[in-house]
Amino acid sequence: MILLFALMFPLASAFVLLAFRNADAAARAALAAGAVEVLLLATCAWKLRVAGVLEQGRYLRADGLTLFFLINLALIFAVVLVYSTGYLRHVPGGRFSSPRWFYALLFLFLFTMLAAYLSSNLGVLWIAIEATTLASALLVGFYNTEGAVEAGWKYLIMCTVGIAFALFGTIALYLAAVRGGVPAARALDWTALMAASPGLSAARDLLKLAFVFVIVGYGTKIGFVPMHSWLPDAHAEAPAPISAMLSAVLLNCAMYALLRMEAITSHAIGSSFSHTLLLAFGCLSLLAAVFLMIVQRDLKRLLAYSSIEHMGIVALGVGIGGPLGLFGALLHAFNHSLAKTLLFFTTGKVRDTFGTLRIDRIRGMARVLPYTSIVLILGGVALAGLPPFGLFVSEFAILTSAFSGSHYLLAVFMLIAFSIGFGALFYHLQRMLSGEPQAPRGGLKILASETGAICVCGFGLLVLGLHVPPVFQSMVNNAMAVLK
Amino acid sequence: MTKALDVFQFLVLIGVAPLLRGVVARFKACIQNRRGANVFRPYFDLWKLFRKEDLIPPTASLLFRLCPVILWAATLAASAFVPVLHTTALLGNHGDIILLVYLLALGRFFLVLGAMDGGSSFGGMGASREALVSTLAEAPLLLGLIAVAIVSRGSSIGAIVQWTADRHLFELSPAHAFACVALILVTIAETGRVPVDNPATHLELTMIHEAMVLEYSGPSLALIEWASGIKLNLMLSLLVALFVPWGMTAGVSFSALAIAAGVWVLKMALLAMALAALESSMAKLRMYLVPQYLGMATALSILAVVFTAFKR
Amino acid sequence: MGLIEFAAAKTLASSAVFLFITVLLIAAAKRINACIVLFAIQCAVITAQIVALAFLHRSVEAFAVAAVVLIVKVVAIPYALLRISRQLKVTPAVVVSTTPGQSVFIVAALILLAFAVVQPYARAFALDSEMLAAATAIVLTGGFLMVSRKKALMQVIGLLVLENGIFLAALTTTFGMPFVIEMGIFFDLLVCVLLMGIFIFRIRETFEHVDVSRLRRLRG
Repeated sequence: MILLFALMFPLASAFVLLAFRNADAAARAALAAGAVEVLLLATCAWKLRVAGVLEQGRYLRADGLTLFFLINLALIFAVVLVYSTGYLRHVPGGRFSSPRWFYALLFLFLFTMLAAYLSSNLGVLWIAIEATTLASALLVGFYNTEGAVEAGWKYLIMCTVGIAFALFGTIALYLAAVRGGVPAARALDWTALMAASPGLSAARDLLKLAFVFVIVGYGTKIGFVPMHSWLPDAHAEAPAPISAMLSAVLLNCAMYALLRMEAITSHAIGSSFSHTLLLAFGCLSLLAAVFLMIVQRDLKRLLAYSSIEHMGIVALGVGIGGPLGLFGALLHAFNHSLAKTLLFFTTGKVRDTFGTLRIDRIRGMARVLPYTSIVLILGGVALAGLPPFGLFVSEFAILTSAFSGSHYLLAVFMLIAFSIGFGALFYHLQRMLSGEPQAPRGGLKILASETGAICVCGFGLLVLGLHVPPVFQSMVNNAMAVLK
Repeated sequence: MTKALDVFQFLVLIGVAPLLRGVVARFKACIQNRRGANVFRPYFDLWKLFRKEDLIPPTASLLFRLCPVILWAATLAASAFVPVLHTTALLGNHGDIILLVYLLALGRFFLVLGAMDGGSSFGGMGASREALVSTLAEAPLLLGLIAVAIVSRGSSIGAIVQWTADRHLFELSPAHAFACVALILVTIAETGRVPVDNPATHLELTMIHEAMVLEYSGPSLALIEWASGIKLNLMLSLLVALFVPWGMTAGVSFSALAIAAGVWVLKMALLAMALAALESSMAKLRMYLVPQYLGMATALSILAVVFTAFKR
Repeated sequence: MGLIEFAAAKTLASSAVFLFITVLLIAAAKRINACIVLFAIQCAVITAQIVALAFLHRSVEAFAVAAVVLIVKVVAIPYALLRISRQLKVTPAVVVSTTPGQSVFIVAALILLAFAVVQPYARAFALDSEMLAAATAIVLTGGFLMVSRKKALMQVIGLLVLENGIFLAALTTTFGMPFVIEMGIFFDLLVCVLLMGIFIFRIRETFEHVDVSRLRRLRG
């Protein structure tokens, strides 16, 4: 029952929130609804830890992997919600741009992602992922400027086309399952598909075809190169909390769908094919992203390309395989979401003070915004994969798995790419921080909510970097067990 | 007995040609809310032209006088290959679709020559336009017919008609559908109807066929007009015979022939109505768009030929 | 029942040809409204196919799916598109980067490519190669339309044609997926079209035109 409540509550709140025309009332109502939702998700998580697997009806199911990603979603959503209540002071109003629409669409977005995580059926998963595109498109175009509308249109079109390819892959999987003897009504269920590996392995070619289409389709949403061109635009033009949601949670959601598909494929025909494809896409994304980061001129686009880089690393982790590789990949997805959220939150303050996010127009931030600069530097350190933050641990795990799996060339390549990424990031940060301040505007005061949100993310990163708590470790291990 | 029937078919094709033009013009008038002329008016026109004097331009040579005759003779010969009521035609065993296409091309070639021989600038203009259209239309015409021939495993029209008549509509392959559309497009181009050429116009900007025959008068003009009518009748009957031949008979019993005649009249009436509706609803294409139009026909006919490899 | 089954079998057999013809006509069309009507005709052909399959397999679910396809794809979505087209008051011409003649050639080539690609799979899995090739051809044509047409509304139509092709592929290979999934897919599609409509209006308000090839602010 709890699954159904946790799923339906955001949908209901989205509609209810539309009624609050007053910005403050909307903010308070949104915070209240958010608190209730986080509580519901925490209850789900607790029950999951106890029971291992929760099922509800035919289409809702939660297992270890779901638990991991649900914790991710709940944490980031809570932080983003708290941050947005303060952030929305800056947003100009408009027909679809009032706070009540923001909160309503945010909760709708949450609903679609929850539907993706809680689905037991790959068909429902597809529908939910497509719905996430639809729910977030209006959020991407929230500011209604030229750039925002163009970014929203590109996002909508490219992701819908990509997801259509994923639909084709899902259909091919369905066909393989039906041919392999699974009854038609259950041929897209996760449990049925995992159990039907011998039957599926008879349809090798069809399964390979299905996986290719699915990785291209969901890879469009993850941001694999060369299907990535919507990502920098969408993440740059969206409001900062929405950029954080997109970078941190939506990419993880699409990766979750890909992981489910990969598990089914590996179970049936062995992992060499799917891992090769994942390695290819991961390498390509990593390489292209770090090189493109060098030539970026806008801070948020820089962060968006960094997201592509880190999703490439996650793909590499899964592709290398083995217990350490998968552990590193999952941990990396979690850490990256914390770090990216942190950085996107600081961009809000930066834009407020300097009026722009163009790197060449921001100078002397260290003098004008000392605290923000410290947070930005720490965030940059975290994103580049340096200790003591969590991304170091996960990248180290992936590198170790590469070495132990004799992928020496790959490991060297990753190290080189990490260095280039680090270099690009700090080159741009240094340009922004040093020098004479260029006529900044005095911004609005930082609210306690914004500071609190940033601190939570930073704290999480630190904890995961210094010592991964055993509770967390066992959660990741359970997630990995689901995928085996 | 079949021979007499085939001669009768041949005479029908030739004799009904002016009537077909009159019917199409009458349908057009109805659609355009006019009274329209008598459907037998083309016969009166031919009669009038045959009794008039033949005026020859001073710069013209013997070719000018011969060309209408050659055109008329070639079109007559071509119409001897097309089955109307019976599944065979008068000269059906002596040639196949390629001969048919090139008889029509022969007639057209001499028409172009005669137009240029007349010495007027309109003649030259019409001739160059006609050369463009006919060159581009030849490929889809041949390819479409070849596609149908490949599917029916026989290149004589009689064989194709027999093959199609033995099966029913849904057994035809996609190659047939594409070839049909391509051949319809080509028919419109070959017979000079809207949207390729306007048969009712005398404005130089829009003329192709009319420009070529501007210098002709008297019996020569009568022969040319008759030949273009026969060509329309021939092409439409060919379309009917190749793609919807049901109703045609292989035997010679009186009842079967009566049914065949009735069905043929019905099909031609429907085609005439469709042609009239098409002409009334579209504007003529600008000259530089005609190659695009024929390019589409070529694409469809190529598709038809390649589809013959994918028969079910 | 014999007549109905005969009609159903013949509908299935000949619908591939109709789909090819609609695809070629969309490529050659010169006005946006013509494209929308052709899309509706294509969906009507697919609906007829679903009904034929429903008769042949005696499945009530398939009838329901056919009804939903009819309502959503043949009536609702084209109506919405026509309304958007009317309210946008843009010129009805389809602004293209390839002329209609070239488009027909390219689409014909895509149809041949689809046949060539589908042959080995159809043989291996004992499927009807013609329908599968029709589905692939429709997908490729949808992609081509999205790339070569410059107006935002035409991109939406290209996307819808692409989804049509994928749906047809699902239909021919598996006779449809579980009912709930199909309903979800249709609902997604409807919301997608509405959202695209909203975006087109925003593009129009912000940029004063709906030519997506001129949306080039964000690069790099």
